[in-house]
Amino acid sequence: MEVAFVGSRSALFWLALKSGFWTVLSLGFYRFWMKTRLRRWYWSAIRPGGHPLEYVGDPLEKLLGFFIAVVVLTFYIGIVNLALMFVSFSVFQSSALGYSASFLGVIPIWFYAQYRARRYVLGRTRWRGVRFGLEKGAWGYAWRALVHWIITICTAGILWPRMTFWLEKYKTDRTFFGSAKLVQGGRWQMLIPATWPFVAGVVLLGALGVWLVYLDPVMPQMDASFDDTMDSIADAVEYGFVPFGWNGVGRLLLLIPTTLLMIYGAVHYRFVTKRILANHKHAQGVRMRSDLKGLRVSMIYVLGTTIAYIMLMLGVIAVIGLALSLLGPEAFLEEQIGMGDPLGFLPRWLSLGVIGLLYLSVFLFYSVLHHVFVTYPLMRHMAVTLSLQNVGPLTQVSQRARDEFAEAEGFAEALDLGAAI
Amino acid sequence: MTLSPQMPNGRFYDALGSTLVDGDVPVPQRATLMLDHDARVLEIGLPDSDRAGLRWPVNDIRQLPDIAGQEGVVLRLNSDPLARLYLRNPNVLKYLPKLKTVPAPKGRARLAAWAAGAVAAVALQIGVLVPLLADRLATYVPPAGERALGEATFDQIRTALAGTGLPPLPVCEGEAGMAAFEEMLVALGVERGTDDAIKLFVLDHEMVNAFALPGGYVVFFRGLIDAAQGPNEVAAVLAHEVGHVVNRDPTRHALRSAGSIGILGLLFGDFAGGAAVLFLTEQLISARYSQGAELGADQFAYGVLEEAGVSPAALGDMFERLRDEYGDAEGVVAHFLSHPTLTSRIDRSRAIARPDFRYMDVISDDQWRDLKRVCADDWLPPAAD
Repeated sequence: MEVAFVGSRSALFWLALKSGFWTVLSLGFYRFWMKTRLRRWYWSAIRPGGHPLEYVGDPLEKLLGFFIAVVVLTFYIGIVNLALMFVSFSVFQSSALGYSASFLGVIPIWFYAQYRARRYVLGRTRWRGVRFGLEKGAWGYAWRALVHWIITICTAGILWPRMTFWLEKYKTDRTFFGSAKLVQGGRWQMLIPATWPFVAGVVLLGALGVWLVYLDPVMPQMDASFDDTMDSIADAVEYGFVPFGWNGVGRLLLLIPTTLLMIYGAVHYRFVTKRILANHKHAQGVRMRSDLKGLRVSMIYVLGTTIAYIMLMLGVIAVIGLALSLLGPEAFLEEQIGMGDPLGFLPRWLSLGVIGLLYLSVFLFYSVLHHVFVTYPLMRHMAVTLSLQNVGPLTQVSQRARDEFAEAEGFAEALDLGAAI
Repeated sequence: MTLSPQMPNGRFYDALGSTLVDGDVPVPQRATLMLDHDARVLEIGLPDSDRAGLRWPVNDIRQLPDIAGQEGVVLRLNSDPLARLYLRNPNVLKYLPKLKTVPAPKGRARLAAWAAGAVAAVALQIGVLVPLLADRLATYVPPAGERALGEATFDQIRTALAGTGLPPLPVCEGEAGMAAFEEMLVALGVERGTDDAIKLFVLDHEMVNAFALPGGYVVFFRGLIDAAQGPNEVAAVLAHEVGHVVNRDPTRHALRSAGSIGILGLLFGDFAGGAAVLFLTEQLISARYSQGAELGADQFAYGVLEEAGVSPAALGDMFERLRDEYGDAEGVVAHFLSHPTLTSRIDRSRAIARPDFRYMDVISDDQWRDLKRVCADDWLPPAAD
């Protein structure tokens, strides 16, 4: 059974633009509706066997979930941050440490929220009238994810494929379509081939490093301190001349293709592992098959992201320019040292409001472009390269009960996780 | 209500390619469509199934919104949350009057309750708990920690003021000028010569401002010294900043920011460009924080000035001078002056000064001349007339 993808980019563009506009006007509250509408659209575009997926999530339940998450998390985050900052001031005498520690403290909740959000989205997805679902197990996921990350970091990333596999298996083995339970087959070693392009990039970078620094140094004065070296590099960039004694500086240009190879490798890994994993998923004898093309996906990803980011940068620069001309260059600094009072003067307040709205508009336009140039083509490619095989047993699948879910994806929303769609 | 006379001849509709799922098994069934105009019911026949057809009242049929693609629509029945009719040919839609009717949202009371709860939780946290805890904790931060924090912040500010790529803004080091400042500190009865003593710096910048940082750092901008018409006005500002230091406002402020910025992060969620919005909002809040702290520092300054025999009205003079000189000027001063509580602060300092008491200058005229030249030996401020 093939999976079709319908719907045009322009329709998506207008839907995203329209709902983005309301989001800006409502100071962000419409974002729950925006997300719901976009998901409905994407889901209905994906049509296995000609029947669209359906997203039945409700904006109001998202709003409610967000409020619940805020109530729960404010206390945790406020108190924990304050305590960490206090320790950081008193014991380590720096504020940066406190901020990074508070970031670390959120990570377990982050994984928890990720799983809960997935459960919510699957629980609100149907195909041919039958619900998908994900079993409970968010804390189990959170601690496993933590342990896997620690192992991965301790092995300098070598065991990354193992983490990818086991976390995906945890989620897949708890996923249902109606009464049918999905199973993730295969072994983690099968993901290793997906790492080759990235590994090649790393090896090339290492080799280049050895050549440029030790074998035939670009900067022969090896006795110079690190700071001096960095200074001379800064000078070279700033004044556009090559310091005396450098040799074969053109070779530094080789870093560009190496970096590109590493970016390609990262995207390749992320999506090709999805293909390999999909090809080992089955439920009641129905098998998935994906023919996703790593190179194609990487091209979409890199080009789309570049377009969206360039527009974002242009927009942000324009808004900052406007802000400086309206408020004067000292406004930002003055607030930094705690003497500012933006509420004091109405026209100033007004110009702050205008700048704020423009700033949000720029980011929303970026997200619209991201939908049109990244999410849409990626989804389309993933959908049309996917198929279901041996679909006979589908007739034996029956409906599953609704997953009532008070806080929806509130935690993920509050913790800034649900950025994909 | 009667139906329009232009209704099609047959009551059957083209249902080729249309399917129904019953919400029980994921097996689509071929459907035929017949509209019973009299009963106002859409009859859905299932020719391939041994089950009877379905009768959907036309007023209860809804269309799923935001469906991608041009081909086909999806219909559902209000009273059946699961069954779906996938319609290939939309020609029957014009007889279904309530396709787009949205049901009234359920659970509004619950939503309102949680919304109020969320607002209350954030307000309680930012307005009460975090400040309370921050004030309490600030007194336990060891002086060495405060000093390190202040030093780091001072360096950041100097770098930020200088602009990118330039060395940090120079600190004025005119010896005679700094000696005059020292004299002023002594006259104000401020503790000197210990680790915890006030560390005073003058930055060579035209901004009319002064501020305090954790660890006893008090920083003047040259612009403020230029604008002052006498040593007492500088002394008044100095006393005010020392008040901030004594009340540990800078440290409290840093702790409060740490507590509240994370909470605000939650509110914005993944809504556009979180970090910067967050920064600005946090600034709004911290500006409000400093209102209470400002009054406390003013209060402290009155006491110190009175003690030193200097008129507390000097603080008001300094503020008023800014207003007179700059008038409707832009930037820093503009919003500073139009601030509603500033006038009351001026008035209060005047009210506290005893009208019949003979106040004196905090330092001598010679020392004042030295102080004015603290930023450059060969540089003189424009003569005031």
